[in-house]
Amino acid sequence: MKTIQFSLTHNGREWVASNRAITLSAPELEDLDAKVRKTLTEQGLVSSGEKAKVWMAFDMSTIPQWIRQYSQHYFNRVIWVNG
Amino acid sequence: MTQDQRRWYTGMLTQEDWWAVWLGLAFFFLSLVNIAGIDLVGWITYPTSWVFSPEGKKGAISGAFYALGKKYSVTAKDFYAGLGWWSVIWTYVIFTIATCIGAACMKWNLKRFFAGWTIIYFLTIACWFVGHHAFITANKMKMHKYGLNFALSLGGGGSFILALIVGLIIGNFFKGFAEFLTEAAKPEWYIKTAIVTLGVKLGYLPIKMSSMSQHLGKQAAGLTFDLFLAGCMATIVAYMIFWPGVYIIARKIFKLPRKTAAVLGSGISICGVSAAVATGGAVRARPVVSIMVSALVVVWAVIELVVLPGLFTHVWPTTNDPLVAGAAMGMSVKTDGADAAAGELMDELMRNKIEADSNGKVQWPSGIITSSAVMTKVWIDMFIGIWAFVLAMVWVYKIDRVPGETVPASEVWHRFPKFVLGYFFCWLFLLAIYFGPGKSGAPEAMPFLKSVKAGAVPIEKGMRKLFFMLTFLSLGVITDFQKLREAQFGKMVWVYFVALFLFIVPVAAIIAYLFHHGMQIPNIAQYAKP
Repeated sequence: MKTIQFSLTHNGREWVASNRAITLSAPELEDLDAKVRKTLTEQGLVSSGEKAKVWMAFDMSTIPQWIRQYSQHYFNRVIWVNG
Repeated sequence: MTQDQRRWYTGMLTQEDWWAVWLGLAFFFLSLVNIAGIDLVGWITYPTSWVFSPEGKKGAISGAFYALGKKYSVTAKDFYAGLGWWSVIWTYVIFTIATCIGAACMKWNLKRFFAGWTIIYFLTIACWFVGHHAFITANKMKMHKYGLNFALSLGGGGSFILALIVGLIIGNFFKGFAEFLTEAAKPEWYIKTAIVTLGVKLGYLPIKMSSMSQHLGKQAAGLTFDLFLAGCMATIVAYMIFWPGVYIIARKIFKLPRKTAAVLGSGISICGVSAAVATGGAVRARPVVSIMVSALVVVWAVIELVVLPGLFTHVWPTTNDPLVAGAAMGMSVKTDGADAAAGELMDELMRNKIEADSNGKVQWPSGIITSSAVMTKVWIDMFIGIWAFVLAMVWVYKIDRVPGETVPASEVWHRFPKFVLGYFFCWLFLLAIYFGPGKSGAPEAMPFLKSVKAGAVPIEKGMRKLFFMLTFLSLGVITDFQKLREAQFGKMVWVYFVALFLFIVPVAAIIAYLFHHGMQIPNIAQYAKP
């Protein structure tokens, strides 16, 4: 099964998912997921009938350094995209 | 970094949590070389009470710091006896090397860390020194030895309070200087390292008590297991009551939004910053929510650290139920640093109080009250990962119902507090030595156990207390009370106040009482040196 990775951050207003090829943003995670699905299928990265796992790993540099000493993990999430 | 987070071993060389384990274990294993007859840790410095005009040798400033090997080394007593105040420099050099290696691996600004660490270390030593003036440390049993007619009876607790005050002055009145120190003001790193060495303390307790009597050794081993189990049970009960209670207070009374209430609920009721961050992630809150709650938690934790040790020592449960007080502390004080520091402070206050109140007929070994405070906290820390995982599933599958999203099980491991591994490893390793080659403290095994003791004491006493001191000072440096006045906190400050003092602390005390009431600390008065 294909796995596509994204780095997830928050710029203060929107959630931002990015990797080397794609950068997408939306105010809510649900909207972001919709954009990810649309982009991946439109760009042919997930072909018709294929099921892909999209791994979004939160980039801890979003969290201030002084807080990272207390907790070094925010969250990772997985969404599934059907081509 | 983000892609690597998928692997279970990610962060082993780049996270403070892991570096607390490496530092603690490195010096623990160095201490075990004593079994082979080589003392590599006897240089660790330790303060003793002093006065300006001692009557005789006791209390001279020249002896205010000594290398612990002077007292405990089996093979190099004379060498370490000659170090005296130089042990402060030895300790500085060796711990500087160790912490700088960690800082470099964690890709911190090494120059700034080195400069900040050096200043924090020597400020800590200065506080340790001043705080050990006999006027501050001695109780009524000991003050006459120093030619005093009155003393504060704070034991080593005075040094902790002083270090916190100095840190708070820097953090609140010299903010530029505090900013400069930030790279090295890492209370969580220092306290997690201290907690790993507290594992050495826990494992060493039966060995220490065996040198007094074999029965006491077995009693101490049993007590540590009791603390372990009672701490676990108390924590489970606390989780079930605290979180829903604070969530309801935040939602129903203060009308906070659902996600904010969830993050605040975890921050106040479970484990401060780490819980706030974990819950923020679990409920997919914008990072700013966790950041605001975290800033609040740090400030309130310091207020708890100042208020609760004295309250529990002198009002309730006092010295009648010291382990109830310790466990209640563990459930009340958020952040590992503030909790362990508060437990250690209360340990000093209570031991001095019981000794003074009983005219020396009751003396408790140090560290057991601290251990009871840390044990509940360690369980809380371990449960965070599971709790955040459950919360994430509830949020994703029931509340937000985001189509197509799943919660990876690896989240539990990513949130697991790794320093706990070091804590339990040291404890169980020394217990295995005690029950194995140490033959449960049988007389024929005492020479062997004495060599283990020679290594363990500098770690569980010297290194542990030094890292506690570093924690107190660093906590002060990063605590800016100005944050409480910042407008955007508004309601959250009041939710915290109401939930903490009218709900968390009383309920924690009741739960601690239910699970720890009646547990006794062994009395070692008849074995103590006059």
